Amino acid sequence: MDPLTGTLSAIVGATHVIARPSELIVYENDGLPGYHKLPRLFVAPGNREEAIAVVRALAASNAPFVARGAGTGLSAGSLADGIVMVGMQRMRRIIELDPVARFATVEPGVVNANLTKAAAPHGLHYAPDPSSQTACTIGGNVAENAGGPHCLKYGVTMNHILAATVVLPDGEVVRLEAPRDDEIGIDLLGAFVGSEGCFGIAVDVTVKLTPNPARICTMLADFMTVDGAAEAVSAIIAAGIVPAALELIDAGTIAAVEASIYAAGYPTDAAAALIVEVDGPIAGLDEDVAAVGRICRAAGARTVRSATDAAERARLWQGRKKAFGAMGRMSPNLVVQDAVVPRTKLAPVLRAIAEISARYRVTVCNVFHAGDGNLHPNIPYNASDPDEAARVHEACDEIMALCIAEGGTITGEHGVGLDKLPYMDALFTPDSLDAMCRLRSAFDPARRANPGKVVPIHRCKEWLAAPGVEA
Amino acid sequence: MTARPASTDELATLVRDAHARGAALRFEGSGRWSDGRSPATRISPNAKRVSLAALSGVVSYVPNDFTLTVRAGTTLAELDAITAPNNQWCPLLSWGDDHGTVGATFATATAGPCSEALGRPRDIALGLEFVDGTGTVIRAGGHVVKNVAGFDLTRLMVGSFGSLGAITEVSVRLRARPTADVTWSVTADGPNAREQLSRIRRGTITPLACDVLSDEVARELGVPALSALVRFGGNAALIAAARAEVSTIGTIHVLDASVWTRYRSLDPHPRRLDARPLDGAVAGRIKERFDPAGIMNPGVFGERA
Ligand SMILES: Cc1cc2nc3c(=O)[nH]c(=O)nc-3n(C[C@H](O)[C@H](O)[C@H](O)COP(=O)(O)OP(=O)(O)OC[C@H]3O[C@@H](n4cnc5c(N)ncnc54)[C@H](O)[C@@H]3O)c2cc1C
Repeated sequence: MDPLTGTLSAIVGATHVIARPSELIVYENDGLPGYHKLPRLFVAPGNREEAIAVVRALAASNAPFVARGAGTGLSAGSLADGIVMVGMQRMRRIIELDPVARFATVEPGVVNANLTKAAAPHGLHYAPDPSSQTACTIGGNVAENAGGPHCLKYGVTMNHILAATVVLPDGEVVRLEAPRDDEIGIDLLGAFVGSEGCFGIAVDVTVKLTPNPARICTMLADFMTVDGAAEAVSAIIAAGIVPAALELIDAGTIAAVEASIYAAGYPTDAAAALIVEVDGPIAGLDEDVAAVGRICRAAGARTVRSATDAAERARLWQGRKKAFGAMGRMSPNLVVQDAVVPRTKLAPVLRAIAEISARYRVTVCNVFHAGDGNLHPNIPYNASDPDEAARVHEACDEIMALCIAEGGTITGEHGVGLDKLPYMDALFTPDSLDAMCRLRSAFDPARRANPGKVVPIHRCKEWLAAPGVEA
Repeated sequence: MTARPASTDELATLVRDAHARGAALRFEGSGRWSDGRSPATRISPNAKRVSLAALSGVVSYVPNDFTLTVRAGTTLAELDAITAPNNQWCPLLSWGDDHGTVGATFATATAGPCSEALGRPRDIALGLEFVDGTGTVIRAGGHVVKNVAGFDLTRLMVGSFGSLGAITEVSVRLRARPTADVTWSVTADGPNAREQLSRIRRGTITPLACDVLSDEVARELGVPALSALVRFGGNAALIAAARAEVSTIGTIHVLDASVWTRYRSLDPHPRRLDARPLDGAVAGRIKERFDPAGIMNPGVFGERA
C-alpha cells in the first residue's frame, strides 16, 4: 500500500482518501476533453486545519501535489500525473458575510453561484461570473483568475479578491492582502491570483461583494455579417457606454444552441448575434439602451430585441451560458479554445479563423466575450478519427499563432495549464519565461506544487541548475 | 551625477554593470517626490541616481482598442494630452502633481481620489517592460485587456517601488471620458455633517469620487468647512438624478474640475504613505531572485541596505 495513504487518512479520515485506481479514474480529467492523467492518491481535507496538515505531510515526504476545486478547468490545469491530488470541494463553508462592509470570507470549495445566492438577500452579489458558475469553486476561480460575461464592466477575479490565506508548498501558512492605498509593498496577492495552483493552496479567500444594479436591460441584436457585429462592438465601447456584458455568438453556435434543449430563440439565419446587457441605476439607463440600439442598427443589425423582465432575460442568456454544452452534444469531442485579440482586430481575425476552418475542413463555432476581445473559437469533432483529430490540432495551432501575430494572447481566462504550454515560447521571450519561473520558485522553491504546468521547464534556469532535473 | 539612459538597452547595460560591481542604484521618475515622508528617502544615500525621465513617449496607441503603451518617463500630463483628443483617459488621477511619471506612478502603485470607482494602478496596468536587478529585460503581461498567460509579473512589479526592477514601459487600459463630468463641493451642517456627507459614496448613483474634507484642506481649497469634494460622470440624465439625490444631503456648489489637480498635489499631503516591510519568506526570496546583488533602490522597504 502507498505509505502516504495511512499518513493522510490519519489527518482527514480514511473515507476521504482514495487510493484505488478504479475510483481515482473520476479525477483523471478536468473540463477539457482529451487529457487523462491518473493521480497517485486523492485526499480531501474537510477544513483549514486538515488542509494545512495535509500539505505539511506532503512536504515532509517530499511529495508533489495538485489542488483541485470542482475540476471544471479548461486547460488541464488540475490534472495530477501520478502525484497526489488535494480536493478542496469539502471545504465549502461561507465563514463570514458582511453586508455592510460588503465582503465575504469563504472556504475555497464554495461554489461561485452559491456565494451569490448567499449574498442575494442583502442585495449583493459576487461579480465574476464564469459560465461554469453553478459548478466551479472560488478557489479554482482565484487560481485561474477566472472571467465571465460581466467582467467587461465589473472586472475579473483579481479585481475582486481582498485577501487569501495560503499554505505554501513547504507548509508555511501566509496571509496575503490587497495593498492598501496608504501603504506600499510587494503585491503578493496580485501575484498569487492566477497562479494556477503552482504557488500553494488557498484555504480561505476574502472577496468583495457588489451591489445588485437597480435595473438591467438585455438586448439581442442580430446581424447578416460577422463584420457588422464586430463593428458594433467597437462602436458601443467607443461611444463611452460600458455595457455589463457584450457577447458575440456566430452562426455555428446559434445552430448548435437552437438544436439543443437550451434553444433561446436566436435567429438561425443570422451570421452573428450580439447579447448586450446594460445595467445600473434607473436614471440614465434608457438613454444607454437607446444608444446601443442606434449603434447596432447603424452597424447593420436586422433586429434589436430588448428584455427587462427576469424570465425573458434568462432565456436570452441561457443559450449563451450553455453554448459549450450545446456544442458538446453535436459530436463526440469538443475543443474549447480561449484567446484574446485587440478589439479592433476582431473582424479580420474572425475572417481569418473562418478561412483556417475551411482549409482544414473543421467546424469552428465562435461564442465569446466580444467586449474584451476574448475569443472562444470552439471545434466539435470526432477524436476517434485520427485524420480529423490531426486537422483540428493543426487548425488550433494556426489560430493561436494568428492571435499572437495580431498582438493578442493565448488565453484570456482559462489559463495555460498543460494545454497552452506549447504556445508559451511563441508569446514570451526566454528571459520573461525565466522571470516567471523565478517568481514561482519564490513561492515553491522545492517545485512540488502543480509541477510541469504553465511555464515550460526548459525555460527555468534555476530549476535546470538544480540536481536531478532534466530539460 | 545622475545617469539618464535614453533607451531600455542603455539602462540594461547600466544595471548589468552595477550588478557586477554590487553598486547601489536609486531610480527616479520626475525626481520631485523627495519630501521627507516619501519611502524613497530611505534609499541608501550612496546609491547612484538613475533618472528614467528620458525614456518617454508613446510606443503604441490604437484609440479604438482603448489601450495605450507608453515609456516610463512619460508624465501624467502628457498621458492626459495624448488621450484627450480621442475623448479617452487613463483615469489614474494619482496623488501628486501631473509632472509625475507613469513609471513612478505604477512602481509606487499611487492611487487617487477616483481609484475606488475607476481602478487602482494594479487594475489599470495590462503589461509592462522592466529591467531587473541583473540587467535582464523582461516583458510582463501584454497589450490586451484580458490576459492570464503565465504568472503575473505585472502585479508583482506594480507597487514594488523599484526594488525588483526599473519599469521602462507600461501598457494601460483606457476609458472613454464620461459624456458629462461634474465636480461639486457639497456642504452640510450639524453634528453629523461628515457622516452624512460620506453617505454620498453609497447613494443609488456611485460617484467617481467623494472625499469628505478636513477643515484645513477645505480652507486650502477655498471651499466651506464641512464639505465633501464630489465628482460624478455619466450621461446627462444620470447627472441630473445624482444632483437631485445629493441635494437632499447638502448644498451643492459647482466647481471647476481643476480643483482635483490642486487637491491631489496639496503639500503636505492629506494622505500618508508607509512602506510595508519586506517581511516573510516569499517576499525575501522574490527580492533575492530579482535583485540578487541588492542594488535596486536598496533600503526602500526599510530593509538593511
Ligand atoms: C462549461 C464551462 C464554461 C466555462 N466558462 C468559463 C468562463 O466563462 N470564464 C472562465 O474564466 N472560465 C470558464 N470555465 C473554466 C473553469 O470553470 C474555470 O477555470 C474555473 O475557475 C475552474 O474552477 P474549478 O473549481 O473547477 O477549478 P479546477 O478545474 O478544479 O482547478 C483549476 C486550477 O485551480 C487550482 N486550484 C483549485 N483550487 C485551488 C485552491 N484552493 N488553491 C490553489 N489552487 C487551486 C487547480 O490546481 C487548477 O490548477 C468554464 C468551464 C466549463 C466546463
